[in-house]
Amino acid sequence: MSVTPLISGKGLTKVYGNFVALADASIAVMAGEVRALIGSNGAGKSTLIKVLTGAIAPTLGTVEVEGVIAPLGNPTEMIARGVACIYQHSNLAPAMSVLDNIYLGRQPTRGFGLLDRKTQRANALVLLERHGIDLDLDAIVGALPTVKQKEVEIAKALALDAKVLLMDEPTGWLAAADVARLHDTIRTLKARGVAIVYISHMLDEIFAVCDTMTIMRDGKVIAESAVKDIKRPKVVELMVGEKLARDSAGAALVGRKPRGSGAVRLGVQNLTKRGVFKNVSFDVHAGEIFCITGLIGSKRTEVMHALFGSDQFDSGTVELDGKAVKFGHPAEAMAAGIGFVTEDRHREGLMLGLKVTDNLVMATLKKFWRFGLLDRGGIERSAKKSILDLNVQPPDGRKLVKLLSGGNQQKVLLGKWLNLSPRVIILDEPTVGVDVGAKAEIYAILRAERDKGAAVLVVSSDLEEVMTVADRIGIMVSGQLKAIHDADKVTMSQVVNEIGEAA
Amino acid sequence: MGTAAQISGFGRRIAPHALPLAILVIVVVFAIAQPAFLKPENLIGILRQVALVGIMATATTFVIMTGGVDLSVGPVLAISGLVSYFCLAAGYPLPVVLAAGLGLGLFIGFANGAVIAFLGLPPIIVTLATLSIVRGSALLLGGPDLHLIREESAYTFIGTGNILGIPVSIYLFIAVALVLIFVQRRTPLGMLVAAVGENERAAFLSGHNTALTKTLIYGLSGLGAGFAGIIQSSQVHTAAATYGPFGTELDVIAAVVLGGTSLMGGSGSVARTVMGVLFLGIMNNGMNILNVPIDMQLIAKGTIIVVALAIAELK
Repeated sequence: MSVTPLISGKGLTKVYGNFVALADASIAVMAGEVRALIGSNGAGKSTLIKVLTGAIAPTLGTVEVEGVIAPLGNPTEMIARGVACIYQHSNLAPAMSVLDNIYLGRQPTRGFGLLDRKTQRANALVLLERHGIDLDLDAIVGALPTVKQKEVEIAKALALDAKVLLMDEPTGWLAAADVARLHDTIRTLKARGVAIVYISHMLDEIFAVCDTMTIMRDGKVIAESAVKDIKRPKVVELMVGEKLARDSAGAALVGRKPRGSGAVRLGVQNLTKRGVFKNVSFDVHAGEIFCITGLIGSKRTEVMHALFGSDQFDSGTVELDGKAVKFGHPAEAMAAGIGFVTEDRHREGLMLGLKVTDNLVMATLKKFWRFGLLDRGGIERSAKKSILDLNVQPPDGRKLVKLLSGGNQQKVLLGKWLNLSPRVIILDEPTVGVDVGAKAEIYAILRAERDKGAAVLVVSSDLEEVMTVADRIGIMVSGQLKAIHDADKVTMSQVVNEIGEAA
Repeated sequence: MGTAAQISGFGRRIAPHALPLAILVIVVVFAIAQPAFLKPENLIGILRQVALVGIMATATTFVIMTGGVDLSVGPVLAISGLVSYFCLAAGYPLPVVLAAGLGLGLFIGFANGAVIAFLGLPPIIVTLATLSIVRGSALLLGGPDLHLIREESAYTFIGTGNILGIPVSIYLFIAVALVLIFVQRRTPLGMLVAAVGENERAAFLSGHNTALTKTLIYGLSGLGAGFAGIIQSSQVHTAAATYGPFGTELDVIAAVVLGGTSLMGGSGSVARTVMGVLFLGIMNNGMNILNVPIDMQLIAKGTIIVVALAIAELK
């Protein structure tokens, strides 16, 4: 094995305005090494990966491939040098065959622009054989199970002669058996001398497949270690930082209110939707924050839509204040006092091209009907109040929502639902793409709603967030709610392990 | 860099006013080229010419704001005129005649909307099918003949009457435009149309009945076409199954799109559609006055539409 790393980044720094996304971070990966890159959301992992793939140019620092300085911010050049990335979300063409996907955009030709199918197929077979990947070249990608699709992505990267493979949460959508399969593929690649950077929140996976790890926090590399030389609790502590660990422990001591006032506001029993989720049961009490966490794809969002009437369920019961309810349309759930801050504010939450004011009243428009007309004055007053209450910046209701920052957009979305004065408020991934300051404000708003007596139901994949705001924690795995804990009686690493173990 | 940024900054400031400015420019150009252009009779003539397309375009603006389209306005215009004629011929009183013509347009629009909203079929296909069905029905009803409307002064007043020297059809266009501008700005429907156009999924998740909203606005589009059919039959004293020929829907869509409403849906404005209508009307009239041959007129019209859209894209 050579002593020169296949890929290395030195002193990488990326500054956006006043925000330092990456601060003097360095990383080096040898041939045949699987290096875990871990850290909380916003720790700078993605920024580091983007610098290494050339997707963005760093403000400072250098990147070397096989000891040679590489041009910065040039993705084509990085691919040519053998650096490939497999993203969390598929970049495949689902309607095309495996073979076509592997060579998408750079098919061998026979001249006159005609495809050379024969050479293509022969090359692909050699490639799969060499790396021990088992794929049917003629299968249509969209019909393959997710783990096979990941293998197609890997094959696609390898067809580019990738020597360095960056994998961004490659197992987020996979079931346990498939995770093991993917890990086998990774071990084969490792034996062939590929350098792999493996990003994951799943400590189990990291301890199963990685040799070394780089732990990041606040844009800095906090620690590096061989996997065999470090224990899990130490990793978690390094990830979240002692201060936060202390803070959330402090918040836990004074702030946690499991079961709130004691009265069950929303009772869910054996909720089932065939092939999606099964026998989901939990209670949310008035005056508590109940967080459901789990992997992306564990069907938490689907349960929320079934509760809210924007989707249906097959069996089970939902009770609101002890009375059985079943909603056929979101309007019915809203009339019963349920608000739903949906996941993905751009796709499901906001009207980006409309004004802040209009967005803020979108869920409560009926309040402003006056003899078939809209009470514009009332709308303006209500929106002005929301903007002040939520500290929306800039405090201008006429501004189009798309011109606001992520954090302020999220506050507008939250405000739209708070205007309903909901007795149950559901929030699905409420702080994705939100800066730290706005995050803290959103948490304060959630606590205030709880203290006013609302039942707050949060779906979140961000464990730090769960540990910060939850009074009780539910853990969802593959469509089933596996465990419920009082947040003051459980540690983050316990939760991490339950999410991972049960899978 | 600096100049590019300055230019795009300038473009962004000017973009909202591009259409009124363009109207001003062509008015000045035509006025200089042919002073007769500015005569009151000619200006009134322009408005009279655009009234029909104007009513249909303002009424269909909401549909286009939701990313939909109504291709069936031409045949709806024809069949509403025919039905009104037959009611007249059968001796029904004027309110019944008008209700029949308008009601049929509204009904066809609702049918379009219900199929699109509740079955989730693509608007372009649904209204294309409606175009064919309604044209066929009109031919079945009216045959190939022109049906002459005689001695119905109350009915023909709609299309040919004058109040204070201005044709009634112009008042009707202005009234429709004002009502729809009011609906857009001051009623829940206006807000819902904007919400559905911006993000239908989010509108649904905010508790709004998006399917009903869509059904209503297609109904409105059909109503507009029906109204235009009545005005036209009254203007030319005849009703025929072939009125509102192929291309009518394109004139209507062109006016809406020139007004800045994206065919992809999203923001749009009835008031700006009115400007789009005026722009097209002035272009037509000006080129006629300058004796531009019809072939050149068509080429110019198409070019202007593409250029206007390209400018709109820049912002």
